[in-house]
Amino acid sequence: MAHIKVVRRSMRPEEWTDLRFGWLKRHIYADKYEIDNLMIRDARQVSEMEFEYYSDDYRPLKKGDMYFTPDGTAFIKADVNVPKELQGKELWFSLKTAAEICVKINGKYVGGVDPNRERMLITPYIDDSKTLHFDMMGYNRSKPDDERNPESLSVRGCRQIFEGAYICTVNHAVQDLVWDFELLLDIAKSDLFNEDYRNFLNRELNNAMNFIDFDSEELTGVDEAKKYIDEVVYANTNYKGSGDVALIAHSHLDIAYYWRRIHAVQKNLRTVLIQLRLMDKYPDFKYTHTQPYIYETLEKYYPDVFEELKEKVANGQFEPVGAMYVEPDCNIPTAESLVRQCLYGQQTYERMFGKRVNNAWLPDVFGNSWIMPQILKKSGVEYFVSNKMSTWNDTNRFPHNNFIWKGIDGSSVLACVPPTHFITWNAPSQIQENWEAYIDKDQGGQTMNMFGYGDGGSGCTEEMIELMHRFDKLSVMPKCEHMGGAEFLEKNLKNNSNLETWDGELYLEMHRGTFTTKSNLKRENRRLEYKLRDAEILSLMRKEDNNDEIRALYKKLLVNQFHDILPGSHIHPVYEDAMADYRELNSALDKIIGTGSKYFNTLNFERDALTFIPNKKGTSTRYGVKGNWIVPHIPAMASKSLRATKGDSSWIEIGDRVETPFYSISFNADGSIASLYDKKLDREWVDGDFNKLKIYTDNPGNYDAWDILPNYKDKQIDVKVEEPLELCELDGETATFKTVLTTEKSRWTMLVRVFRQSKGIEVENIVDWQEKHKLAKAEFACNVLTRKALCDTSAGFIERDTHRNTTWQQARFESCHHKWCDLSETDGGVALINDGKYGVGLLENTMSLSLLRATIRPDVTSDMGMHNFCYMIMPHADNAVAAGINNLAFQYNVPLVKSDAEWSLPDFAPLYLQAAKLSENGKMAVIRLSEQNGTRGTIKLDKPVKLLNMLEDVQKEIDTIEYKPFEIITIGIEE
Amino acid sequence: MTVKNYVETVLQPKIQGDGGWIEFESLDGSVLTVVFRGECSKCLILHRCVEWIEEQIKQDCHKTVKVNAIRKKPYFQDV
Repeated sequence: MAHIKVVRRSMRPEEWTDLRFGWLKRHIYADKYEIDNLMIRDARQVSEMEFEYYSDDYRPLKKGDMYFTPDGTAFIKADVNVPKELQGKELWFSLKTAAEICVKINGKYVGGVDPNRERMLITPYIDDSKTLHFDMMGYNRSKPDDERNPESLSVRGCRQIFEGAYICTVNHAVQDLVWDFELLLDIAKSDLFNEDYRNFLNRELNNAMNFIDFDSEELTGVDEAKKYIDEVVYANTNYKGSGDVALIAHSHLDIAYYWRRIHAVQKNLRTVLIQLRLMDKYPDFKYTHTQPYIYETLEKYYPDVFEELKEKVANGQFEPVGAMYVEPDCNIPTAESLVRQCLYGQQTYERMFGKRVNNAWLPDVFGNSWIMPQILKKSGVEYFVSNKMSTWNDTNRFPHNNFIWKGIDGSSVLACVPPTHFITWNAPSQIQENWEAYIDKDQGGQTMNMFGYGDGGSGCTEEMIELMHRFDKLSVMPKCEHMGGAEFLEKNLKNNSNLETWDGELYLEMHRGTFTTKSNLKRENRRLEYKLRDAEILSLMRKEDNNDEIRALYKKLLVNQFHDILPGSHIHPVYEDAMADYRELNSALDKIIGTGSKYFNTLNFERDALTFIPNKKGTSTRYGVKGNWIVPHIPAMASKSLRATKGDSSWIEIGDRVETPFYSISFNADGSIASLYDKKLDREWVDGDFNKLKIYTDNPGNYDAWDILPNYKDKQIDVKVEEPLELCELDGETATFKTVLTTEKSRWTMLVRVFRQSKGIEVENIVDWQEKHKLAKAEFACNVLTRKALCDTSAGFIERDTHRNTTWQQARFESCHHKWCDLSETDGGVALINDGKYGVGLLENTMSLSLLRATIRPDVTSDMGMHNFCYMIMPHADNAVAAGINNLAFQYNVPLVKSDAEWSLPDFAPLYLQAAKLSENGKMAVIRLSEQNGTRGTIKLDKPVKLLNMLEDVQKEIDTIEYKPFEIITIGIEE
Repeated sequence: MTVKNYVETVLQPKIQGDGGWIEFESLDGSVLTVVFRGECSKCLILHRCVEWIEEQIKQDCHKTVKVNAIRKKPYFQDV
């Protein structure tokens, strides 16, 4: 018999239930009184609390009018006399909107409405006058991730139609029944639950709905339907679920993303107000909120709301979590930046609430550096939470959810990578999904399930809490327990001897493009990290009490390390804001650093690498500045006058090959190197394309700024040689060769420098970059046999496999490094030192340094325009550690400063002086030292010092520093 | 201020603030052709914004224009 596909034309019983559920929701409001005297005034926000108004006065706002403008803020107001027929009743304000609106009543901010909730209780604000003065401040920003809330997707856009605002009463019987149906229909529609139970639900929900007479003028049968659900549906315990899920209320708030940082102030205000009101209504409701920075904005601009928040913190309902100042990117910032995230974050919480937190709360960050456990641990952080590795990994299933994370130095923190997304709405299917995805069921205790709308804040809703209150009525659900974030971590991870250990970086198998996107941000961040270091060192040496100024500058840098700013995943105005901040920082730090008659070496080891010293009369050019290449030979933390040596060009021979004291080089016309023969080591370094510019098509799809796909090498575009390589500058120290390369749209000038006194070969790139969907890389195929590459992390090096034996190596086709990476045999290798690049591919004998991308989402013009950056090819004897590559990379990134200040403390060699600053309490010098080479040893001190943690708490007194591989040690020295 | 300048210096920053993008293409008589990219390119209610742009130009540049809106969707959203 032939099979005939049956297309049903009649309604299935489940569809009939759905249809009536929609009708039921129309009866939630019992009485509605339209506010018909609303007035509106359009504006645009120009700073955190400044608005540029489009008109001098307000205009009427009527139902059906268009409201909101691109990037606009609307101020809406009305004086409302509560109608007599509504007086004495429980009243709500209702405004269905796609916008995000903070609501002030009678002069006080009290709540908010947005796409995720349309009403707020107003009874508490009605006094004897029965008049309410509404003042609303609304924003209507595109929220691309609202796909998670499909109802708001259809109304997204800059210009909205005003659907009216109302004072109303709620029919609680209907509302309760609506929540019952929301809960039960979610289960009925989810494949994750038992099929027989779902059939039972479909049958019984239809039966329950049959009690309601939708044709009657006054909806009848609601109580009977509710009774039926209680007695038949909730009473059924024949179907048993399993699992133990902790429900943590949280709202993710991107400080900048599809909105500027200035807008996060009000996004946070709205989020906090909504959660405070939920706490009023539901005394058992607890909510976790991160980022001390965002608390600061509330304290500064909305002190009344902040005082309310403090009360809720005191009663345990509002829980500050996350020790870091913001939720930073955790790949690109240096160790010292991450320390300061903790220091200033904890300091802020301590000042505000009298206590620190013991967790790092980083749900959305794009992978986490191996250096973090130590930094967290020494900053009072025992617990770490980050979601991405479980749900975003594109290749491998991360093998733990609740586990011990061991860091590069061997110290560890207790970690939770929750099995599912940090944005959920407490639907039973989401909770069931979390339990099923939970990999540590046998040893991890409960699984963490975060709920609450987010990205742009918003948080939990009444519905989420009401659903939660019904979960224990359902035998089919996992056991659910609502608790705070710290409570979950203490309960399930503390003293849990069954937890397994992950020893390594938390590499995210996605978002690999964020090491490269918006290269200018990365370069400026790198430069300013070291400039802040210099400013603090010099301030300490000069005994300047400028802690407040430096702290403010540091905080500005830290905010811009937020995980959608520094990684480049944001709209264009966010980039402009960050660059403006960087200019401001640069100028302020220049003033602090000042000037002097001599060059000061802020590194605590001798400066022995060839260095470019700017000088208007110089005979070389670098970054468009005249100067000279000099080997400074300045001792650690000391100063010296420098003079360029006058030499002739006899050190180099330029023919078919270029002969330098170190190499015999054969260049190609495009600046790549066909042969790099090392005269001293008697070996060839090149085995394939070497210093070869390659531009690949780069089409990762919707997550354009974030991702690079594993097949990016499939298609390469033509790079033409417009001007073949030829000598353009020569003096007694350096010879610079220039080539100009072009694509159809871009022009790439490459300056290749060889030196008389250095084995390094520097490549300066001046690029007019006008591509779309391209990834530019410089590739280096080395005559080196190794299966490991070393990569700088800023606080020690990490070894990375260069083979593709398993899916774990295959997934890491692009990884993050800091100042250098290296491929070496035991007696020699090639290092690549950069001054602001982070993405690198490591495959067999090849390093491919990612230089530029050209993405169009979220920023249409990302990375377009002029770029100027350098890297140094540094072949060497021995392995990278013995060759001192790390010290060379510091010298390449930390410029000499002009200063006559004197350093009176030891140099603490062989540790790296990561920071030297006045303590936060102004009473001692704080010295932070980092072991970077994987060695162990002791440093005997002249006098006893205080051993500190990274929050500058005294741990004990010591007179000898005992260090182990990759350890970061903080000491305090009192005068 | 010319209409081109107005689009590039006044409207563009506002549109960018919502993740959108507008580019002046041409002004032919009263027909102003602009290219919408970014979030604007897939906006379901772009026509409302277009009307607002016409109003703004009339108010600030004292010119009556009819906007010819060209959407340039990124390849990954061009379905």
